[in-house]
Amino acid sequence: MNVIGNSVYKALVAVLALFSVLSLSACNVPKHGAERGTLRMNIGAEPPGLDWEVETDSTSFDVVSNLMTGLTQYTPTLQCAPGCAKNWDVLDGGKRYVFHLRPDVYWTDGKKLVAGDFEYAWRRLLDPNTGASYAYFLYPIANAFEFNTSKVRDFNQVGIKALDDLTFEVKLTKPAAYFIYLTAFCPCCPSRKDVIEKWGRRWTDPEHIVTNGPFKLVHWAHEYKIELAANPNYFEGRPKLDSIKMFMVPEQATAFALYENDELDYVDNRSFSTPDVERCMHSAEYRNIPLLRNNYLGFNVTKAPFTDARVRRAFSMAIDRSVFPRILRRKEKPSKSWIPEGLAGYSPTTGLTFDPAGAKKLLAEAGYPDGKGFPSVLMLYPNREDVKTVIEDLQDQLLRNLGITIGLQNQEWKVYLQTLHRDPPPIYRANWGADYPDPETFANLFTSHNGNNYACWKNSKYDDIVERASTEQDPKVRAKLYESADHYLCNEEAVIAPTYLATQNLMVKPWVKGMAFNALDIQFFKGVSIEPESSSDPGQRHK
Amino acid sequence: MISLIFRRILLAIPVLWIVASITFLLVRIVPGGPFETEKSLPPEIVANLKAKYHLDRPVPEQYLLYMGRLAQGDLGLSYKYIGRTVNDILADAFPVSLELGTAGLLLAILVGVPLGTIAAVRRGSAVDFSAMFMSTAGISVPSFVVGACLIFVFGIWLQILPVALWESWRHMILPAITLALSPAAYLARLTRSSVLEILEKDWVRTARSKGLSGSSTVIKHVVRNALIPVVTVLGPLTAILITGSFVVEYMYAIPGMGRFFITAVGNRDYDLIMGTTLIFGVLLIIANTIVDIVYLVLDPRMQVD
Repeated sequence: MNVIGNSVYKALVAVLALFSVLSLSACNVPKHGAERGTLRMNIGAEPPGLDWEVETDSTSFDVVSNLMTGLTQYTPTLQCAPGCAKNWDVLDGGKRYVFHLRPDVYWTDGKKLVAGDFEYAWRRLLDPNTGASYAYFLYPIANAFEFNTSKVRDFNQVGIKALDDLTFEVKLTKPAAYFIYLTAFCPCCPSRKDVIEKWGRRWTDPEHIVTNGPFKLVHWAHEYKIELAANPNYFEGRPKLDSIKMFMVPEQATAFALYENDELDYVDNRSFSTPDVERCMHSAEYRNIPLLRNNYLGFNVTKAPFTDARVRRAFSMAIDRSVFPRILRRKEKPSKSWIPEGLAGYSPTTGLTFDPAGAKKLLAEAGYPDGKGFPSVLMLYPNREDVKTVIEDLQDQLLRNLGITIGLQNQEWKVYLQTLHRDPPPIYRANWGADYPDPETFANLFTSHNGNNYACWKNSKYDDIVERASTEQDPKVRAKLYESADHYLCNEEAVIAPTYLATQNLMVKPWVKGMAFNALDIQFFKGVSIEPESSSDPGQRHK
Repeated sequence: MISLIFRRILLAIPVLWIVASITFLLVRIVPGGPFETEKSLPPEIVANLKAKYHLDRPVPEQYLLYMGRLAQGDLGLSYKYIGRTVNDILADAFPVSLELGTAGLLLAILVGVPLGTIAAVRRGSAVDFSAMFMSTAGISVPSFVVGACLIFVFGIWLQILPVALWESWRHMILPAITLALSPAAYLARLTRSSVLEILEKDWVRTARSKGLSGSSTVIKHVVRNALIPVVTVLGPLTAILITGSFVVEYMYAIPGMGRFFITAVGNRDYDLIMGTTLIFGVLLIIANTIVDIVYLVLDPRMQVD
């Protein structure tokens, strides 16, 4: 079989030659360096949408936060600063807010922003036909819950009203000290009735959308890239950047390779694998920001053996939290309190410290000396590699420190969520990220009627403290109340065993200036600039 | 041929209806729903959401509603990508997958078939062993490993091709090679065994004994007949390649529809799962019909159906 047709051979050579030529012609792709006036970033995935009243996810909010400004806005230190509202009055002991709008805020189509735009937006958020998930954020407002559940049909009965073009009034059912933070939240941004009604579900397309923030949407290639351009008429002045390119690169390694090739100007956890974090940790470009996202081990207090607080406390005391940064390797912060550091109510003394001897003693008191006779229980966790690492370590620690063998139950994400929502197991792993920078977002989670209270813990004392704290207007008294609630939750009742705070790991090119990150993980780019000359300093490169 | 196409269209309707019905039921049997979110929603909110997407109705009613819409070409609304219809999503993503898939398919054919032929006609030689080693490696090494190696070598180390993204023709080279490698290897093995079988036929010996040159024998008599099994696998292969590869699209950040086959299930995006399944079904039927037509062209003696 020594016959070979020259033509066949030539065809193969031609194909190989073609690809060689293609490759050679693409030679010398230079490192891109900075793109003047443009910030290039990776948001990792397609935002589920840009209709801010309907969206709930951080990817959408990464975009919307730079397109829109609400009544208030966050400072880099997460204080509430004036936004569209130049100031506001808190009246009737905290039950009534009157916002006075700036007269110089314009939509990108040139129309002036008026209080009616807020009234329309909040009405739309509450309208059951909108099907907005975050409608419940407005439930502190008088009759908002009733309107959202169709018990009240007349919106005039809801405590939301545009008094005139520049005055917006909100009436609450009771004082809510955290309410002001909600006014900076994306779903509470204003929207335009005429635009939404004209374009229907396509109103967020670049050719239709109107916004009032520092940037405007100019291009949206689905599943690939979003491009924003500076809004020259932004009421705080034109931002320094001309444009932002938000790529949607799902694979971490690919996105990081793009960063290393200077095709992205900064990357965060979405693009930064743990081996890369370890490799680049000492680079001048590396940054680490602790987030208001607490991870915990939860106990379903209605299921044995976790009906006994001594067992729960023993578990919490048997966990050495200092191991988590070592095994997860992203500079996580061990956490034994539920309210994280940085929020009012946090106390370093809250939470049970690692004490294996004390834990064993408590377990023995509960009837399980050296873990003997402890019933078989499964620990539920979602199917994720980092979570698996944590859970296996916890399993090992409980065996070593208490003599208890815990089984593991791994479920696919949506199945895991369904299990938690419908029938929480005796012990599970979960986490919670702050919606706003106030202890209420954490403390409220374990109140009796909160749907995220998978511990099924119903405690009137705790409910009462949290209720008082949420309505208290004096910040110092409020902080004390939250501190006592947190102590009761984590120390006395040990309904949960907090484990660690997640962190945001970033690499930022030296030519990116003015990038401020915060613990809520909301990224604002209005103060960012690109200054390419800085890139010539080799000392700043991580390689 | 016209009657063949007509019959295939008639047959496609019940096939697609069965596929749609089974998928409709399967997605609803899988535990976890589209509105199971990390932050549990109040029951009132969930009720509003379910009402918006008609998921508050009994399953038979949902089925009838869906089939009614499907008959009009409406694939429904995405639950994940709020405000976008499945038609919109697939209309955006499919052309990208089609472009990349076509490049990958052509590359696979242009490399795989000649490689298999050369290996067969030089059976037992170093060329044969090299070709078969390459094709075994091509089949065995997963595309995410191939892709990562290509990105490292050509994108990061040599810097002669883009690492990822979908901006120009240059951006298509590495993904097309990654996509084509496994099918090219498979086609090479298939072609080799098929050519070997044909080379043993009496009429090949006759052709040679009549003085026909080696290359003319291979091209005119061997390859043409050896292509029939290759064409058979090209049908499903075409449907698979042009509907996109999750791994390749994910790895190179290409906005195709391959990723939806996985992410739509993870998100329990019911209508999007239905849409991707049906599109795949339609393309598979079209590709197989074309294969049958090609059979007739390659060997007019064949009686399809």
